[in-house]
Amino acid sequence: MSFPRAVAFLWVASWLNRIRRQLARLRKPRYLLGALVGAAYFYSVFFRRMDFRGPVGGASEGLRLFAELSLIGSALGALFAAWVLGRDRPSLTFSETEVVQLFPAPVSRRALLQYKLVRGLLGTTVGALFATLFLGRAISPHPVLFFAGACLALGTLYLHSTAAAFVRTRLTARGTWGLVIRWGGVTAVLGLVAFAVLSSLQAHPVPENLTSGRALRVWLQSLMASPGVGAVLWPGRLLVAPALAQSVREFLAALPPVLVLMGAHYVWVLLAEVPFEETAVVRAESRSRERLLRASGRMARVGSMTLSKPPFRLLARGRPEVAILWKNLIARKRMGGGFAVFLVFIVLGGAIAALMGDARLFTDTRRVLGPVALVLAVTLTVVGPSAFRMDLRMDLPKLDLLRALPLTGRQVVRAQLAASGLAVATFQLTLLAVALVLGPGVEAPRLGGWWWPGGLALAFLLPAVSLAGLFVQNAAVVLFPAWVPADTGERARGLEAMGQRLLALVGTLVVTLVGLIPASLVALLVGIPLSPFLGPWSLPVAGLAAAGVLVGEVALGVIGLGHAFERLDLSEDRPE
Amino acid sequence: MDSVLRVEGLEKTYGEVKAVQGLSFEVAPGEVLGLVGPNGAGKTSTLRCMAGILPPSSGRVHVAGHDLTQAPVDAKRALAFLPDEPRFFEYLTVWEHLNFTARLYGVEDWEERGRALLEEMELSGKEKSLPGELSRGMKQKLSIACGFLHSPKLILLDEPLTGLDPIGIRRMKASLRRRAEEGAALVLSSHLLPLVEELCHRLLVIAGGKAVALGSLEDIRARLSGVEGEHASLEELFVRITSAGAQPP
Repeated sequence: MSFPRAVAFLWVASWLNRIRRQLARLRKPRYLLGALVGAAYFYSVFFRRMDFRGPVGGASEGLRLFAELSLIGSALGALFAAWVLGRDRPSLTFSETEVVQLFPAPVSRRALLQYKLVRGLLGTTVGALFATLFLGRAISPHPVLFFAGACLALGTLYLHSTAAAFVRTRLTARGTWGLVIRWGGVTAVLGLVAFAVLSSLQAHPVPENLTSGRALRVWLQSLMASPGVGAVLWPGRLLVAPALAQSVREFLAALPPVLVLMGAHYVWVLLAEVPFEETAVVRAESRSRERLLRASGRMARVGSMTLSKPPFRLLARGRPEVAILWKNLIARKRMGGGFAVFLVFIVLGGAIAALMGDARLFTDTRRVLGPVALVLAVTLTVVGPSAFRMDLRMDLPKLDLLRALPLTGRQVVRAQLAASGLAVATFQLTLLAVALVLGPGVEAPRLGGWWWPGGLALAFLLPAVSLAGLFVQNAAVVLFPAWVPADTGERARGLEAMGQRLLALVGTLVVTLVGLIPASLVALLVGIPLSPFLGPWSLPVAGLAAAGVLVGEVALGVIGLGHAFERLDLSEDRPE
Repeated sequence: MDSVLRVEGLEKTYGEVKAVQGLSFEVAPGEVLGLVGPNGAGKTSTLRCMAGILPPSSGRVHVAGHDLTQAPVDAKRALAFLPDEPRFFEYLTVWEHLNFTARLYGVEDWEERGRALLEEMELSGKEKSLPGELSRGMKQKLSIACGFLHSPKLILLDEPLTGLDPIGIRRMKASLRRRAEEGAALVLSSHLLPLVEELCHRLLVIAGGKAVALGSLEDIRARLSGVEGEHASLEELFVRITSAGAQPP
């Protein structure tokens, strides 16, 4: 059997086996239900919005301009990344299985390269399919044309980055001269781009009064039509023209240059080819290690784990479960995750405010920072239990290790919850402190005397609600391991897995909300009678009572979950 | 002398599959019991049940006088389980793993013991390494160091020499022998029959989840009648016993 036929056999057989296995799984009700929910979701989100009957009218001019600029920007960004970012080595990636199976096989390097290119182009086709599902309908009246155009554009960019990596490897091998040639070329191109953009900006300066979206659009269109910026955008425009075509005629007109460009890139890759086996082996091993690390924690960042100091000194004497708390706090420090999410919140919040042109962000920090911090603290109550996962969700893949520890199930569950709970509460209380101290405070006319009592009530409530959310999510992985898998780094794929995840998400939300009902009732029963006497200060008392109920519920739940953890037998489907 | 490990009628089933069926045996302090059997015989399931990792389907396991089902924490405090594939927390260093273990088992002089164990396992200088930076053999040694830190009365080992180099193997054998001499009971599962023959006082041969032979090598030889049995190597005995055990009744 020739290599191409063997590869075709491998892909077809793998695909058929996967489909067969997924169909076999549907015999179990939980997978069937998951598949039905997943299919319904997929249909409602994607296919219902797609109209394959033909063009129904194009998108608005503003949206088209935005889409065109985004696509051109992405294409030019990919070109920039191919030449400037990353390491100077072949970019081809092989899995460890591919390395073991294909590298010793009687196959030439050229055949391996062709194999990888076809595989890469198949990957870009899947990318184009998703782009069509998410964006196609909004941008183009012809999703099929958009898909075909996106396939060509992404495929050409893939070939370009592969060829660029080969050329960079060759230039690096030449030593200093190679580096001079590469960086000289990059600098010259960037210089020309900067010159072209600046000269266009001189001819079409930013209008002083950009009050409306229309004015912005008109200015952008004139800038893009200018010779300088037009020349810079030309390669990107050429590439995305078929995807943005509004009619079959436009598509056919835009097609030949892209086909020629893609063909030229293919020839360039073959001509620029360098030995890639050594790099491929290193990358395959590194990816394998990465997968193993991810299996121990969803947010693990391989190679960037810094050995920060433990949060506290762990003495040999004392409650043994504190060791688990200590370990999980170390995991949080070393694997980031939570803090990174927090920073993303801050940066995104600032960016959105700036984009909305809210100048108050820079002039009246008291009126903006306080509410932003408050919104973030409340958002963290909902998002925190999913973002901070240094608990059973992280450790359950190591159930063997946990079960061998001399701890009761209750001790394990309690310590696991404590780490995530402490981390979320610390962020929440910090944000609340920022909100209370930097916010408008009692001077605000509508807040007045409610400012501090309300803040104190939230300080009691928010960490307790997060703890309840964390408990529900941890309980789900212990009680329903088939529905809510722990963080193994390898997410189950397929429609049924997506449906299961959706059902599990809805289930955890419902349980959390049901758990909040007794706490809300107690808060009302405590707060209403006290309000005539304490006024606004009845709020923190009610908040404290509600938090007490929630913590009590979690404490009771921990007892039950501890028993469930001791009985948990993940080996049922895994005979020796 | 009271046994450190007493197993009575241990059974483990996975759905329809009976992995372990009615195992009963005892291991005395200072004794090394070899657990041998063909692939899929139920050795790892047996070890995992004895370590408190898998709940037995029926039967009892007593470790140092504590029932593993009734008093799991006390029983687990007295044992160490060293799996064939060492598992670690990837974000803790070698030294932090020892610290973690020390707190769990309340080992107050853990720093002194830890240093000695790292020296013994040739891991000195690797204190600040993460598990991902260690070779397969070093991981095995770290697992053993963590297991030995609290001086367990019962040590359960599943293929303990996997990944070790010849010097490491020699050191490990000496180390296991010393632990046994100090009074620990060892249950050692391995396919390396020369190792089993060299270290173990008694053998438990399992096939199809059932015990097909239990006793010293001499006892088992004697049980096999004829001249062939008297001079047979452990490998020959193993083949003969397990082949017979695998026969349908």
